[in-house]
Amino acid sequence: MASLPKRIIKETERLASDPVPGISAEPHEDNLRYFAVTIEGPEESPYENGVFELELYLPDDYPMEAPKVRFLTRIYHPNIDRLGRICLDVLKNNWSPALQIRTVLLSIQALLASPNPNDPLANDVAEEWIKNEELAISKAKEWTKLYAGKR
Amino acid sequence: MSKVPRSFRLLEELEKGEKGLGPESCSYGLADSDDISMTTWNGTILGPPHSNHENRIYSLSIECGPNYPDHPPTIKFISKINLPCVDSKTGQVTPSTFHTLRDWKRAYNMETILLELRKEMATPANKKLPQPKEGSTF
Repeated sequence: MASLPKRIIKETERLASDPVPGISAEPHEDNLRYFAVTIEGPEESPYENGVFELELYLPDDYPMEAPKVRFLTRIYHPNIDRLGRICLDVLKNNWSPALQIRTVLLSIQALLASPNPNDPLANDVAEEWIKNEELAISKAKEWTKLYAGKR
Repeated sequence: MSKVPRSFRLLEELEKGEKGLGPESCSYGLADSDDISMTTWNGTILGPPHSNHENRIYSLSIECGPNYPDHPPTIKFISKINLPCVDSKTGQVTPSTFHTLRDWKRAYNMETILLELRKEMATPANKKLPQPKEGSTF
């Protein structure tokens, strides 16, 4: 395997030695650019008490190109679609090489705390969210219990 | 080059297929848009011109297993077709007789397979093979 850039090694080490509360990210042994990630649902959000699994991959051009991230756990959220794809500015146009794996994961955690139905990826979810927020939140809680239970 | 993991590879293929960025002669997409494992796909091939396949649209089913793209997917014609590399009973494309599956490389993708199958339909030996009635299925 091609040698891993110093930047990735440093980020990986720091994720292990100084982890972000509620977030874990560990590289796969056979592919050090490919991480298994978990994010705990933020307190006082519909995702509270849930543990969500994600996968993250650092493409060849990282950090010039943003990491690729996807939810593996099903989640009811207007900015996350049924395949786990995430609509988040820092993963797209607002990516900057000054950002890191940890800042990306923190942004995703923040997205869980404040869903944004006005910039939706999952249109059906966003519509429900705007039409009846209370109902949408209870559905998000239900899915959290159903799919993101602690193991 | 690092190895793009299975799901991000499949997401790339999905986006390319959804946006119609590929060639016009074939298409592919997820069979079930809820399938977070992205295993089962639908494909179509537009029959090549100057052959008995001209103007026909062939449907296929593609299954990308957990080891894709290190291992090739399994692929099966839904539309009935008479082609040496296709099992005449099941519609399954047999890897031993189809070079793209037999000599699979990680860089290949679903589009490669569909385009190569289309080329196979158009070879001098195959293009005039008698074909089943249009619209029949395996």
